[in-house]
Amino acid sequence: MRRILPNLAASVAVCALLVTAGSAADVIKIGVQAPITGKYANEGQSIDNGVRLVVDQINAKGGVLGKQLEVVTCDDEGAAQKAAICARRLVNENVLAVIGSYTSGATEAAQTTYYRNKTLQTSDGTSNSLTEHKYWTFFRNSFKNSDQATFTAKYLVNEKGYKKIVVLSDFSSYSTDLGDSVAKAIVAAGGNLIYQGKVKSGTQNFTAVLTKIKSMEPDAIYYSGYYTDGGLIRAQQQQLGIEADFIGGDSNDNPDFMKLAGSSAEGTLLINFPTPDFLPYDLAKDFIADYTAKYGIAPSSVWALMNIDGLRAIVHAVEMTKSEDTKVISDYLHTLRDFPGITGPVSFREDGERINTKFNVYEVQADNSYKIVNE
Amino acid sequence: MDIFLQQLVNGLTIGSLYALVALGYTMVYGVMKLINFAHGDLVALSSFVGLTVYTNMFADGGTSIVAVITVFMFTAAIIAVVGVLLERLAYRPLRTAPRLSAVVSALGAGLVIQNSIMLIWGPNMKIFPSDLFPSTIWDINGVVITFTQVMILGTSSILMIALYLFINRTKMGTAIRAVAIDQDAAKLMGINVNKIVMIIFVIGSALGAVAGLFIGIYYRGITFDMGWTYGLSAFVAAIIGGIGNIPGAMFGGLMLGLFNALISGYISSAWAETFTFMLLIIVLIFRPTGILGEKTAEKV
Repeated sequence: MRRILPNLAASVAVCALLVTAGSAADVIKIGVQAPITGKYANEGQSIDNGVRLVVDQINAKGGVLGKQLEVVTCDDEGAAQKAAICARRLVNENVLAVIGSYTSGATEAAQTTYYRNKTLQTSDGTSNSLTEHKYWTFFRNSFKNSDQATFTAKYLVNEKGYKKIVVLSDFSSYSTDLGDSVAKAIVAAGGNLIYQGKVKSGTQNFTAVLTKIKSMEPDAIYYSGYYTDGGLIRAQQQQLGIEADFIGGDSNDNPDFMKLAGSSAEGTLLINFPTPDFLPYDLAKDFIADYTAKYGIAPSSVWALMNIDGLRAIVHAVEMTKSEDTKVISDYLHTLRDFPGITGPVSFREDGERINTKFNVYEVQADNSYKIVNE
Repeated sequence: MDIFLQQLVNGLTIGSLYALVALGYTMVYGVMKLINFAHGDLVALSSFVGLTVYTNMFADGGTSIVAVITVFMFTAAIIAVVGVLLERLAYRPLRTAPRLSAVVSALGAGLVIQNSIMLIWGPNMKIFPSDLFPSTIWDINGVVITFTQVMILGTSSILMIALYLFINRTKMGTAIRAVAIDQDAAKLMGINVNKIVMIIFVIGSALGAVAGLFIGIYYRGITFDMGWTYGLSAFVAAIIGGIGNIPGAMFGGLMLGLFNALISGYISSAWAETFTFMLLIIVLIFRPTGILGEKTAEKV
């Protein structure tokens, strides 16, 4: 005990020192919570790279309110447990705002911690539940699943006129949420939903459930999960000789989907917000050019860009309010209208929901390029 | 009916991959009474090594039977060397230590391999080229079977029969069985135990490497952390069959594959894992030594 006490005292002193060093800094810290490793590393790294690029550009112009921005990244591996740890870590680092995460599950697991510690958070997660808590700290920079579901159902039932539709999802909170919303919307639109099932992400072997589906002779299979599984489901679907169209939800929109599906990728329909190269805005073209010049590869999908818009909106709010008080910034953001963003005008509703609902349907061509096929 | 047969084909394919991996667990356990938790990660490593070998040697030349055989041989050889090194560095120093130390060492070795894969090949999913095997598909009365599936079933059956004959019909196999029964007695009979252990690791790792390559070719997407998924399933297969028992591992693997396919097909894929572990518990309650394992059986 005699030896423990001085040690304890010393470590408390060190902690105190660290804390004061953090709060008295003349930098503004921006946190990034994203899956830097693991299955969704591709997306997580794009978000981190994008944030660092924007921060470098802002710092080169003299920073914000005369202070330099500093990025603190925490890898949540797309997992809820890691996300909760990241949330603690970033809060302890005294970040002003957190960009991320990529998955709804990891976002939701961290949300409450940020809310309680008055740290702003902006994420591309699309689960309806993300904004249902009404946390004033949370801003969605993408769109709600239910918006996408309505669009998807209309397209499948009215525009394509499918007669037997199968809906598959995985167990993640995002995919379940989207799958359920689409299934409901299909029924509401008068479509014939013959099967709604779930697959376990990462199993790689989906032949069992696909064989079951084969006997139902569907003409459309909709998958609401992520590209790592979607590409394989598409490949195995064709292998088993199921002649149904494959329609992937937004998270299937990733170059790895085509690689996994191989020759089966052709003819796949993907529903998403406009992809980076289809964004008509000059800001988008400049950003993608800068990004590609710096990292030698284009951002993996539109998700990174949406998160960048979240960051840009927050930085804009800091500049306009001349404040680092997150409540003041949040109040400003809730009334933000048509701030020019990379992914289009950024406006937030009172519940932190971004206002926009533009979707496209892409048909994958033989060379894996996209062709817009709706409207 | 054809739906049922299709599920059988699917189940047997994945089952024979489980069986190949399970053999690695069971042989090491049989001889050393050690659960080699790093084995699953060796399987993952082999996928990555195989992909690198292929892209460096044959990427532009297209595929030929020579290319595929070379990739398999080369990868199996590399993984066998890694397996032997693993035994030398992580297990041999602990051979007389309490069993728990060796298991912890195995878990640690698994983490080392997994993280090495991540550091060398990166955390992103890597994707196998689709042209390693011809994409021929046979449709027999509505039951679809692909060339890759035929190769998986064929190769793994040949390997398993060969292994069975090797263990039961050769002098070396007899020595392995002797070491499995009693290491000290085997040593007194002039058997070089270290050599036998090395052979066990060579064979187990090489079989795992073949499974790892097939996983890459069949499913295409490989991640650095996939060893855990396959390792766990194969481990369960080895226990169900009777750990330490070679035919048991084969049987357990095939059975687990079939069981999973039928549960996913007729109940729900959501329940597949739940039922797998329920099966494990039931087997352990009624036959604690596994389905083919007997108290008196020679454990190899």
